[in-house]
Amino acid sequence: MHDLERLRLSLHPLERKVLPLLTGIKGIQDLVKESGLSDTEVRRALQWLGGKGLVEVNESGYLQVNLDSNGLRYARESLPERRFVVALKSGALTLDDVRNKSGLSDEEMNISVGILRRMGVIEIGKDLLVRLVREGPVSGELDSEVFLRKKFPLLLSSLGEHEKKVLDGLKSRKGIVRVDEVKDMRASILPLGSDVLKAGIDVDVIDRVTPDIIKSGSWKGKAFRRYDIHSNVPRVFGGRKQHYRRFLEEVRQKLLSMGFTEMNGPIVETEFWNMDALFMPQFHSARDIHDAYYVKVPKYSSDLPQALVSKVKAAHEHGVAGSRGWRYSFDVKRTHRHVLRTQDTSISPRILSSPELRVPGKYFQMVRCFRYDVIDATHLADFNQIGGFVVEEGINFRHLIGLLRLFAREFAETDEVRVVPAYFPFTEPSAAVYAKHPDMGWIELGGSGIFRPEMTHPLGVKAPVIAWGIGVERLGMFRLGLKDIRQLFSHDLEFLRSVKVV
Amino acid sequence: MGRRISETSLEEMATYCKGELGRYDKKTDEVTFELDDTNLPYLWSVEGIARLLRGILGVQRGLQEIKVSRGKYSVEVDLSVSGVRPFIAAFVAKGKKVDSQFIKQLVQLQEKFCDGYGRKRQKVSIGLYSYKRIKFPVSYKAARPESVRFVPLGFSEEMDLSEIIERHPKGKDYGWILKDFISYPVLVDGNGSVLSFPPIINSDSLGKVEEGDSDIFFEVTGTDEPSVILAANIFAYALSERGFELFTVEVKYPDRKLVCPVLRSETMRITRDQVRGLLGLDLKDSELKKLLERFGYSFNDYVVSIPPYRADIMHPFDVIEDVAIAYGFWNIPSKELESYSSGCSLPVVGFIDRVREIVIGLGYQELMSPILSNKAVLYDRMCTKDVGTVEIDNYMSELFSVVRTWLTPMNMEVLSKNKHVDFPQMIFEQGLVTERDCEKIADYEKISIVSSHSGADFTEAKQVLEYLMRQLGISFEIREAELGFLIPGRAAEVFVSRRRIGFLGEISPQVLENWGIEMPVAALELNVSALFDVSVKND
Repeated sequence: MHDLERLRLSLHPLERKVLPLLTGIKGIQDLVKESGLSDTEVRRALQWLGGKGLVEVNESGYLQVNLDSNGLRYARESLPERRFVVALKSGALTLDDVRNKSGLSDEEMNISVGILRRMGVIEIGKDLLVRLVREGPVSGELDSEVFLRKKFPLLLSSLGEHEKKVLDGLKSRKGIVRVDEVKDMRASILPLGSDVLKAGIDVDVIDRVTPDIIKSGSWKGKAFRRYDIHSNVPRVFGGRKQHYRRFLEEVRQKLLSMGFTEMNGPIVETEFWNMDALFMPQFHSARDIHDAYYVKVPKYSSDLPQALVSKVKAAHEHGVAGSRGWRYSFDVKRTHRHVLRTQDTSISPRILSSPELRVPGKYFQMVRCFRYDVIDATHLADFNQIGGFVVEEGINFRHLIGLLRLFAREFAETDEVRVVPAYFPFTEPSAAVYAKHPDMGWIELGGSGIFRPEMTHPLGVKAPVIAWGIGVERLGMFRLGLKDIRQLFSHDLEFLRSVKVV
Repeated sequence: MGRRISETSLEEMATYCKGELGRYDKKTDEVTFELDDTNLPYLWSVEGIARLLRGILGVQRGLQEIKVSRGKYSVEVDLSVSGVRPFIAAFVAKGKKVDSQFIKQLVQLQEKFCDGYGRKRQKVSIGLYSYKRIKFPVSYKAARPESVRFVPLGFSEEMDLSEIIERHPKGKDYGWILKDFISYPVLVDGNGSVLSFPPIINSDSLGKVEEGDSDIFFEVTGTDEPSVILAANIFAYALSERGFELFTVEVKYPDRKLVCPVLRSETMRITRDQVRGLLGLDLKDSELKKLLERFGYSFNDYVVSIPPYRADIMHPFDVIEDVAIAYGFWNIPSKELESYSSGCSLPVVGFIDRVREIVIGLGYQELMSPILSNKAVLYDRMCTKDVGTVEIDNYMSELFSVVRTWLTPMNMEVLSKNKHVDFPQMIFEQGLVTERDCEKIADYEKISIVSSHSGADFTEAKQVLEYLMRQLGISFEIREAELGFLIPGRAAEVFVSRRRIGFLGEISPQVLENWGIEMPVAALELNVSALFDVSVKND
């Protein structure tokens, strides 16, 4: 199709209205008057015409003086200082009387007193009475009153020196005048525009496809207005999953596919399940790594399995299964103390002691945990932990290493792992695993160990149990390319809408 | 250590100590290890680490013994300390001039031990003194706070024990340990001069070791005798290896005598089956012996002698872990798990995912917030009352002082932080909350769906509710409700099987003002756990 034809068919109704009016250089105001369109409609039309190369548009800014809310009122009524003077016409008054008589606000009173004193019109005597001492300056119209009677908006550039001073005076007062910057457009038609105009713009094009047009078939034989497919459109945002949760779901899916069953436990735990049942001694530094949040009410739980508590107490005090135990006096009251869960492993003893435990079995949990800690770029008030265990007759440390290798393959896409000695109070032996991710380099993937017999025997489990945990926050940050851990729980909508889906 | 090692092998060396190489400073030749194990205090000293690595590197083998000569010194323990801080151990180390570097390391071990293993000095505290200023015998007794006066370390005036607790920085730090007692422990020498006021502070005149001193008196007091003895043993090994000659001190309790340090090594029997069972390694006796000896044990026909500086061995598995570490974790061949198990997630998880999928399909952006919150956010700003919240006794920051009970406030907070971001803002959060009903606490999964734009209204919230319930196949009814945070007449509660499971409506302008939100907000919150219960019953 010929360019000229294409252009003719692409004109929007607004453009068709404005283009014929451009017989010389025209400003917005002229075009508004001549077209009967609104200011914005004219501006949009000029922008589009300019974009198509039909019109040359020069934008320039100018400053315009407008009356503000108080100014509009004062122009209608009168200025406060005038009303102040009028109130005093019949003789001296106290300030309170002036206020009542004139109906001025406190703020207006203050301004009026200031102005009139400066002009030497009023005086406030020792008797606190205000009286007119010199009426001369206010006998005629004040400069500011003259100014307010002008026709607004005013072009700032059209004001003389004296008027500018008056304006400055009014600008210093609240809400009388304001100076706005207005973008003006001056447009003139270009040769291409003239050509289009000559070719005729009064073409019968269909603007929008409507149900009526389709039903009646009236579109047949007509052209549709051509759109500028490059013009900007408003942004839209879709519904989407939270980025970190999406990653956590992916981890869950991987664990399910590896044959792990999900477990759960409560946010408000007892010291029993959270630590004691894990054979973490009550009065030992091993416990310090878990500074817990204690619950105010109720302080103590009343539903712990007492037989199990006794067995755990015995294991702590003098050992079980060939162990000498921690050799201290176990505090039964303290074991009932409510804390917010400090570690996901608190769920393991619940499942291990449950009649529903299946041996062999593989279990995992992904839960929120809480520790008494300062919140910064590397620590959150809450954090997610993922961990679990494998229970099976005859498994040993070699299987543990095998499991860690499997995790490295699944979660860090690598066969290159480093398994090193570590310490967890409830496992022996204990190991930490580092994996060399193809992009991220060496990362600490998690920890693992074989639950101590002193822990598993009181729970009624004789088979070996390999416990494991994944450092999921760190892994998530790596995967999502985040630097600050707080971005995992970001409240920044712009970020949430745009963070890369991985 | 008696061996030069390369910078690269430092990393491997750290793993034998269950730690990581922190850094190596080439200029000062200083190495920092970051240690994981809070149960191996002997490694908190350069001597302990060197001792372990000498074994690992083969410089020495088996259980190391140190020489202690019989000393003619004694500490007399008075019956009065038995209720306060009953145990003490001590020894004398002579014949080696100390320099500032050595003092620094000694103090590091002392502080780490007392702070960590010693439970911030409550369980164990340690004192080191210049031997030559002390006249033996030393007596250990408890005294009324006002009856003993001395100049504490770092001060120039005499104070009594209560004044020290009130005014001395260490008294302020550790005074809590003694708050339940009417008399306090003191160590006094044969001249009647005060050595120290354990576990608070030493005296300024007798209680310090300075550069140039060559003879040291060591003392440790505490509430747990095995820990006290362990501390003395760890220091005895460290000082002996530094070249000091050690002398015993006899501790005379009212009813018994104990010659310190008590360098007795306990024994433990392990079996080949245990080693094979735990590690999956079939080790010959000679191999096992070699590995244990590298780690500082002695091994004789499956009886293992444990070095006196270790108190962490409770079970044969503790010994066997060290076998594995000495063997090298990286040398242990891995094995895959062979038994089959089918994985399954929690029943509620599938339901939750369906709910989220439906809401996301309606164009809502998902959020995730911390579970910890505060009452101002949950109730005050929402113009509503607390009807049962789990509160934290010892919160770190008031911002995170309670467990959230509902989710709409989380969404309001998000809206308040995003006033200049494109509208419409359609957001939701699905997550756990905890409700407290007197003594009963329960976790629930909830969902809060919120829409904010110039036309957000009740209709919109109701449309979402109806769509969601239609998709889930759950019938419900709504009843008009007066809820402080919703506009009256535009607020409803949602009921399923006569159970109240949520609400919907237009957020009241007062709440919007409290949050500084300038756009209308329509909200819907539902208890997903309750919906799940119903859906299970329906099936």
